[in-house]
Amino acid sequence: GSVDGSSPPEWLLVELQGEMVSRHNSGLAGNVMGDLLYTKEGVPVLIVGHHILYGKMVKLEKPFAVLTKHSGHSQDSNTDGVSQVTMETDQPAASSTSYSVSALIKRKLIFKTRPKPIITNVPKKV
Amino acid sequence: MRSLEEVQATLEIAKLKEEDLLPSVQCLSFGDNVSSADYCLMELDETLCKHIEAGESLVIRGDKEERAVLCSSNKTYDLKIADTSNLLLFVPGGRTPDQLTDNQDSFHVVHTQVWGFCNSYWELRKQRPKLKKLKKLLMENPYEGPALGGQEENTENRYTMEDLLERIQASEEELKTHMETIHACQIEGYWRVLDFNYEMKLLGHVTQLVDSESWSFTKVSLQTSLEELGPLEPREMIEHCLNCYGKRYTENGEVFYALHEDKVCWGLALMLLQNVVKFNLKEFQYVWQQSVPEGMSTRLDQLKGVALVDRTSHPETISLLRVEDLPEDTVERFNHLFSLREKWTEDDITPYIQDLCGEKQTTGALLTKYARSSVQNGIKVFNSRRPVAT
Repeated sequence: GSVDGSSPPEWLLVELQGEMVSRHNSGLAGNVMGDLLYTKEGVPVLIVGHHILYGKMVKLEKPFAVLTKHSGHSQDSNTDGVSQVTMETDQPAASSTSYSVSALIKRKLIFKTRPKPIITNVPKKV
Repeated sequence: MRSLEEVQATLEIAKLKEEDLLPSVQCLSFGDNVSSADYCLMELDETLCKHIEAGESLVIRGDKEERAVLCSSNKTYDLKIADTSNLLLFVPGGRTPDQLTDNQDSFHVVHTQVWGFCNSYWELRKQRPKLKKLKKLLMENPYEGPALGGQEENTENRYTMEDLLERIQASEEELKTHMETIHACQIEGYWRVLDFNYEMKLLGHVTQLVDSESWSFTKVSLQTSLEELGPLEPREMIEHCLNCYGKRYTENGEVFYALHEDKVCWGLALMLLQNVVKFNLKEFQYVWQQSVPEGMSTRLDQLKGVALVDRTSHPETISLLRVEDLPEDTVERFNHLFSLREKWTEDDITPYIQDLCGEKQTTGALLTKYARSSVQNGIKVFNSRRPVAT
């Protein structure tokens, strides 16, 4: 479909090493993930639970497009003037899938260093 | 929602001093729709990125069995899922230090949402497999030669150029080029690949004729070939074989073919290896050299990507291994290769992973990503990153 020539917004990507995954099973919605801060030198720091991770900001060699899947929408529908990515399949039209570009990602924060546990007592509740 | 006080308490416990930090703390929480969000990531190259920024649209094509293909207005890419062992979080409101220009000097909290996450993304790959689909379709009914006796020829699954253009996303010119590579030809208006044994039969006729006529393999007379071999096979097929395995030229008004040494040797090697599990290398090399026309030299490097030499067995052996028979998916390909052989040298494995390379990827990069290297007897070898059943 035709679009008004506007560029999608830019989002930030935060990449975490695999071991963090197990902490975040289903039931995530609404839950706190962690605190993201930066040192004055610009080093990103992430505090997740009792762990502190140091990371770095990386400009992506290959930017990402964030695609949102729309099942069963008409391929001609044009939502909010965003770039349409149409899915053509050999399947009958009823099961067509289309994608729209919701955002671009050009930079990411990557936290690869092993999380350091925060060694102390339970944080005091305020 | 975390308060400033809670955050400051955390910082204190983490032994981070406020004076070392930028004053803006982004408290990340998961948005309400984060588990059901249907986001996926797709890698872009510069051109595509500019396309999208200009608001232009893209098309993804594919069917259930095929991989997806991305089409921009002038270029096509294959999309492959790349898994990463890392978790990727989408943070629309996430700010980087250069973006934290709000002039608040005092510590403050910004509540920011994570809208989705994933651990894989679509990778762009340079377009290759049109050839694979073309061959797959044509292999549904390979041509085995003219129907014998009272036999009816199998007329199912035959494709015209129009049929193929409809099914394969490529231009006619691209298809015709690929036809040449797979030695396909037009028979009764349909494009057909030859059954391998039939193709070898034709090649065998030609090479035997070259020997019996004592021709130089660089000067094979078309007319004589058609006259001598006409009684055995259709003339179009003889000429097709010469076109596949030689280069046509005219001299004094007569048409000749210069047989292509590498192609002929390759074909005859395949014929020898086709029906054995493995061949004693020395015996193979002897028989192979004997089977090619006088003047041609066989060399093992002519067989890169179709045969594999085992130098660790006693005696050394060679067996058929065609890259086109291997899995298309990168991870599956590597698993398969490592299940055949635990450790590979770079020279041996490169022909079998060359076609997996992305747009600007080298086989070296692939090996770094998908294999583990070690040094054995002074030589660098690669093995699987994960335990593989051999």
